[in-house]
Amino acid sequence: MKILVPLKRVIDPYAKVKPLGDGSGLDLSGIKFDINPFDEIAVEEAVRMKEKDGSHEIIVVSIGTSDSEEQLRKALAIGADRAILIETEHIYDSLGIAHELEAVVRAESPDLVLMGKQATDDDNNQAGQMLAARLGWPQATFASKVEAAGTRLQVTRETDSGEEVLELPLPSLVTADLRLNEPRYIALPGIIKARSKPLEKRPASVMSSPKTRTVRYDAPPARAAGRKVSSVDELVAALQEKGAL
Amino acid sequence: MLRKSEVRRLGKDNIMAGLISNQQHGGSFFSQTPERIFTPEDFSPDENLMIQTAEQFSRKEILPQLEALDQQAEGLMPSLVRKAGELGFCGIDTAEAYDGLGLSKNLAARILEFLSLNGSFSVTIGITSGISQVGLSLFGEESQRQQFLPKLTSGEWIGAYALSEPNSGSDALSMSCRAERHGDKWVLNGTKMWISNAKWADLFLVMAKVDGERVTAFLVERNAPGVSVAREEHKMGLKGSSTARLVLENAEIPLENQLYVEGKGHHVAFNALNLGRFKLASMSIGPAREAITQAASYALDRKQFGQSISDFGLIRKKLAEMAGRFYAAESMIYRTGALIDQAFDQQGGSVEGNRLAAEEFAIECSACKVLSTEVEAFIVDEAIQVFGGYGFTEEFPVARLYRDARVSRIYEGTNEINRVFLADRLMRRAKEGRLSLSGSGDSYLSELAAKAFAHAGSGQVFIGALSDLAMLSYAEQSARLRAKQQGGIFDLAYQNFLQWAQLQGAAAYQIATGEAVHVPATPHLGIDELAAAVLETKAPLRKT
Repeated sequence: MKILVPLKRVIDPYAKVKPLGDGSGLDLSGIKFDINPFDEIAVEEAVRMKEKDGSHEIIVVSIGTSDSEEQLRKALAIGADRAILIETEHIYDSLGIAHELEAVVRAESPDLVLMGKQATDDDNNQAGQMLAARLGWPQATFASKVEAAGTRLQVTRETDSGEEVLELPLPSLVTADLRLNEPRYIALPGIIKARSKPLEKRPASVMSSPKTRTVRYDAPPARAAGRKVSSVDELVAALQEKGAL
Repeated sequence: MLRKSEVRRLGKDNIMAGLISNQQHGGSFFSQTPERIFTPEDFSPDENLMIQTAEQFSRKEILPQLEALDQQAEGLMPSLVRKAGELGFCGIDTAEAYDGLGLSKNLAARILEFLSLNGSFSVTIGITSGISQVGLSLFGEESQRQQFLPKLTSGEWIGAYALSEPNSGSDALSMSCRAERHGDKWVLNGTKMWISNAKWADLFLVMAKVDGERVTAFLVERNAPGVSVAREEHKMGLKGSSTARLVLENAEIPLENQLYVEGKGHHVAFNALNLGRFKLASMSIGPAREAITQAASYALDRKQFGQSISDFGLIRKKLAEMAGRFYAAESMIYRTGALIDQAFDQQGGSVEGNRLAAEEFAIECSACKVLSTEVEAFIVDEAIQVFGGYGFTEEFPVARLYRDARVSRIYEGTNEINRVFLADRLMRRAKEGRLSLSGSGDSYLSELAAKAFAHAGSGQVFIGALSDLAMLSYAEQSARLRAKQQGGIFDLAYQNFLQWAQLQGAAAYQIATGEAVHVPATPHLGIDELAAAVLETKAPLRKT
């Protein structure tokens, strides 16, 4: 099976970011970057599938500047076989990303696209669904378990009302949720091997104009201090006063 | 395993990239200012990924088990070493031919820093991956390397190093352990003391005297006849590490387990120690790193007089000074590591070349060991102070950091013996015409150091003061050049360190010469900015 894992370079999810004074962007000085954690879970899952069945091939792909090579190399260190960087400075929204990935899928013809359910920077949770729709492929989002069953996949997905088990024909698209797996430590020999794995750069092919536009970056307003009440009656009165009851 | 072509040697690459100057040699900092030095910011992205794996391993596998480790829970420490071995941590700078990773010593030291957030695990992994292998790597026969190194680099075996004896510590060559040749074997008798990893070691590098005078190195397997390990020492700290006596009673060792030339065991012992001292420097700032994290976190959480104690000037001053001195120690350690790698690239390979390479920067290795362990002591002490009364209890992890840190200034050569060695080496090299003691003239400290070295004096107190000046000059120059190359918050870290270093230097100068000396003012100590940076990341300073 050929597995394609798209991944995004994001600001370290544990970093505290501040907007620039003029609101035109974020202050990125001293900020570290990493693979979007949900995408790293997708890479890990692909590598585990390959460890069960050595015939699988894992291709990782990222869209962005050459800075993203660092994250692709990390995915190669985890165990991906080769990497593709769609090198561009174009600004995309989710649909634009789906367009660009669609071109990669058409060129590579994977049996499975496995990706994070969302990226921790924009939290859009759209690119996977849009890509599946563009391809006309079946999709299973929020996967917490993926099992290969012959030429089909059995995917357990987490929903608000419980777990749902789907069976999908291949090719198909799966997006990873947090509980799908816990990514491994990246072993040092893997990092050394990753240095000699192929990383191919391709130009962007679609570059559709974004349907959304970022107007301004602002920090969320500081939370106002709370107030202590001495009785239930006072609490109810205060809630009524705020129109909450 | 890995092909040679897959491995990039950091040292070589950096020389080619012009990151470190080709001209630096042992002690040359005293009279010259290099154009560039290697800084921690120069590690490549994939090297940083390795460092990140080390930190994750410490945070997920080691720090949650400190209590069980300190109680020496059965099998726990050896299982953690094996786990570390699977990730490649037991043979980072050992050649690929012996299943090591063949990476640079500098990168190995940086990785070790992040594996050293707890002292007990630090000393265990540090010894089995370092001093227990380096003698074999540098001085072993090919067959000896093939036989033993792959077992150590994989973490399957744990190694130990046995030099000290009950009556022979700093004066190591006065050892009484004997080796006699009986037919097709060596027979060893004696007791080796303070042997780290003794309880779980499978292989000991033992120094013993042939004919009562010729120091010789031997590879002693734990299960050889006549080899036993005495009870654990009750230590003040590092309770999770094993320290015990190795007892050799007519221990029978195959002839082929003799390492290097008979009577040249001191080369093996001392060169392993030179590199060991360098690594110990990075192993001591690992726990200091964790102490800064703990102190910053607590300072933010703890409220008194209705506000976080991290707002108080004297707490901020502590955090700033911790950060400044950590920065300086870090600057000199990784500058030195790159120089050692450069020496091995240029001279290493043959046994004689290896010996020369390991010796080349022995002065810098001692300076790193002394300064880093004293910076560690300062940081863990101030961390306790930030915690106040709670720091004095075992409820919080800072008390353990404090106890564990104490031995750093004692082992791998006490800081006193290292001080004597450092100035002595500098003067010997000057006498041999290999360096000038005229000073680089690039700083107040370097001028003081040159004047003090030109002063007539003798005795350990005089020598110790000269060493302090040389060590402070090296640290100051390293911190200054790193700030110049990387800028940002490091400018303030340098200034903050400079103030302390100049005062220490002035005191040492007075001791050496008996003369009064003026200390220049440091323009900006950056207390608020440095404290804010530490509180923001709850870690030592990073480039901004």
